[in-house]
Amino acid sequence: MAGRTEGLAGGQSGGRSGDQSGGHRGGRTIDAGLRLLDRQLIDVDGMLAGKVDDLELTMPAEGAPYVTAILAGPGSLSRRVGGRLGAKIEALHRRLHPSEAPGPASVSWGVVTDVGSSIRLSVGKASLPVDTLEQWTREHIIDRIPGSDRAPD
Amino acid sequence: MKRFTEITLGILTAIGGFVDIGDLVANAETGARFRMGLAWAVVVGVVGIVVYAEMAGRVAAVSGRPVFDLVRERLGARVALANLLASFFINFLTLAAEIAGVALALELASSVNYLLWIPLVAALVWLVLWRGSFVPMERVFGLLGLALVVFGVALWHLHPEGLLASAMHPGPPTNESWGTYLFFAVALFGATMTPYEVFFFSSGAVEERWTRRDLNVERANVLIGFPLGGALSLLLMGTTATVLAPRGITVEHLSQVGLPVALALGKVGLAVLLVGIFAATFGAALETALSGGYTVSQYFGWQWGKFVRPNKAPRFHLVVLLATGLGGLLMLTAVDPIKVTEYSIVLAAAALPLTYFPILIVANDRDYLGDRVNGRVTNAIATVYLGLLVVVATATIPLMIMTKGGA
Repeated sequence: MAGRTEGLAGGQSGGRSGDQSGGHRGGRTIDAGLRLLDRQLIDVDGMLAGKVDDLELTMPAEGAPYVTAILAGPGSLSRRVGGRLGAKIEALHRRLHPSEAPGPASVSWGVVTDVGSSIRLSVGKASLPVDTLEQWTREHIIDRIPGSDRAPD
Repeated sequence: MKRFTEITLGILTAIGGFVDIGDLVANAETGARFRMGLAWAVVVGVVGIVVYAEMAGRVAAVSGRPVFDLVRERLGARVALANLLASFFINFLTLAAEIAGVALALELASSVNYLLWIPLVAALVWLVLWRGSFVPMERVFGLLGLALVVFGVALWHLHPEGLLASAMHPGPPTNESWGTYLFFAVALFGATMTPYEVFFFSSGAVEERWTRRDLNVERANVLIGFPLGGALSLLLMGTTATVLAPRGITVEHLSQVGLPVALALGKVGLAVLLVGIFAATFGAALETALSGGYTVSQYFGWQWGKFVRPNKAPRFHLVVLLATGLGGLLMLTAVDPIKVTEYSIVLAAAALPLTYFPILIVANDRDYLGDRVNGRVTNAIATVYLGLLVVVATATIPLMIMTKGGA
């Protein structure tokens, strides 16, 4: 059953589009616009790992579309913000990203363990593509200041 | 004593929120020009911040989600970004002014020009935020800020007359216009409800790792801390209303804030006052610098907080470092810090509804709070205040233009 995938926010439209996804493939049906979008991602160690900036939906040939991945970081946030500011965020994302045509960072729905006031993941954030800018800031700026690895007094 | 140190988060939030550098001067000026005729604006503001800070703290304790998480979730990426830009700008201006405020307090104590103190103060603020843990920081500055109780002692010694009567008869005195009166009312109300208080308080609840079991502590922080801060600002207003108003002296500078205290209590009183002003402005600098880091990190979902090592929250610490450094640089241009905070309060008014509306919505959401959602009375009061915030947000800028900033 070949499916088509796309971000929930679509190409141009900013804000929350009215598309309320729900999957019936053994998963539960929730209001994705209200209960998934813009929530906090928390990794297996309890560290904050980004926001649900957008969702990747798969449209099966028949039946309702279902969520296959969480999109996070500037590459997906830019489309949600939209307008000139969104375009600026997108340009910054392209400039900072090592690959030529970077897509938004994506986290497979398979690692989601809980959906509540935050979204819990079963992996550490260092293994996810959402963490690269944080790692860069740590290596190039924060770790050069004395005391960056000491617990506060 | 142990019980008392548990409420220092509320005390520091309130002191940093409404007896910071701008409000010290604004409250003193209000007392000198209107006596206690605007005391009601502070009282109305304190009730509002109590209601909303309690909701924000409760959501943070039960769900672990601080205020800017709620703003992002309820307003969406686009509108929340507009709120973030406005809130961060106001935060930055206030932080810059507080750095200069600490420097001004040091100038009063040392007679060394405040501009020379600014680099040192900015470095100290950053060092506390880089190396210090949250709870000791909050206790030191929250408790030291209570030295401002000296306003109350001074007022006692001054044997004030007619203060209550002037508080009971609102309205401008004969030499002031209604426009100016309302402008000051809106500014005082806005100052008590500045958004960075709920950013700081709710994030502080997470820093202190409050849970559902700490809701009593949370409530005590709100119900004691904020009214205490409000009482300090009213006592200050009372001292200038008693000493300066009858003599027609108006307040434009921090040095004049201490005149009634010096008159009543002499050098000792002034020394205690300087300690209080130092702690309040330094505490406000910490509060605004942290709020800047909290709001940006929470909008983007970055790791934040002082409960982890700095290199676990690198982008949060980068924001704090840049804001503190650039704030110090801005103040080295010798721009008047009092004017900066006065304008930032007015600009903040526009961002007020966008911050408080999501708190009210989530405080009714069982996904977050389970059985701890708002009761009917809280919802009724909070809804009235939301209406009031919208009125204030629309009225502030026209009033500022009409009265030329309350001149």
